Amino acid sequence: MRWRLRRRTRPVQRNNEIFVSGHWLRQAAVLVLFALVPAIGEAIYFRDKVSWQSPIPASELVTVDQARAWGDSSIWVDARPDEEFARGHVTGAVSLNEDRWNELLPQFLPKWSPDKKVVVYCSAQSCNVAREVAKRLRDEAQLKDGEGKNCVFVLQGGWEEWLKKNR
Amino acid sequence: MKIFWPVFATILAAVAVIALIATRKITFWRIVDLIVGGIFIYAGVVKALDPIQFGIDIDNYKTLPWFISVRLAFYLPWLEIFCGLALIFRFLYRGGLSILAALTAVFIVATIAAKVRGLDITCGCFGHASKNWSFSTHLALDLAILVALVALSFRVASGNRPQNAV
Repeated sequence: MRWRLRRRTRPVQRNNEIFVSGHWLRQAAVLVLFALVPAIGEAIYFRDKVSWQSPIPASELVTVDQARAWGDSSIWVDARPDEEFARGHVTGAVSLNEDRWNELLPQFLPKWSPDKKVVVYCSAQSCNVAREVAKRLRDEAQLKDGEGKNCVFVLQGGWEEWLKKNR
Repeated sequence: MKIFWPVFATILAAVAVIALIATRKITFWRIVDLIVGGIFIYAGVVKALDPIQFGIDIDNYKTLPWFISVRLAFYLPWLEIFCGLALIFRFLYRGGLSILAALTAVFIVATIAAKVRGLDITCGCFGHASKNWSFSTHLALDLAILVALVALSFRVASGNRPQNAV
């Protein structure tokens, strides 16, 4: 009986010794592969709702030239902090940043009407506040044009791009 | 009201742990397994429910291009969930520990780097629940989790493996 128990336990122990260096890596690889399955499923489910190439879908972006061509039928919204707005902004732009959202939104809304497009910008292409403010304008303030389509756009390149085009 | 759910969850977790200790012989390290595993499952589920927001949160770090951030946003929450389950059910235990320790370490480095670069970001680690947490709160929680994971790893490496762990 003793001999049998020994014979049974030995290979298990040897197994553990062998896998001290490699076993955790193999386990990690299995987990990495397991996680791929639901992730791919979820990505397929969301494929039409997410923009895969840019954080802002192309349909929600506008270039400086396009935005300028809209003329009076657009409102420019400066999403940068107050100090940067005070240093300089697009002529006629309204300040609407997340720091003072509750205070500034009521001042902005009377200036907007469904026939006007909203162009939101922040400092540069890489800033995120314009995207956030545009999202909040769509979701919280429910800004849409007369046909119920999106009327809030993010300026490609932001304030830096606007400066380049106006030099 | 904001404070209600975290307090409620903490009390619930404490009651669950006390009940487990009372009903079964449960060791300190098993409790650590359950807590750390539970944290990662919660964090994973919250992010898996809103992968687009998590993609934006990753993108806010300004270290990866968007096409990688968005793909990671779909993948990382599930990896956290599976690794959390691995810790709780002790299946692929060491693999789960290694991945979670690596993820937490990378996250701590990314958070510090973002702070040094002056980025004012929300980490998105626990979805919107953590949106208003300060940098020091994030760092303290992440360091505590990393310490727990490293301690569990040392325990495994020293040969004092949890029973039934695969």
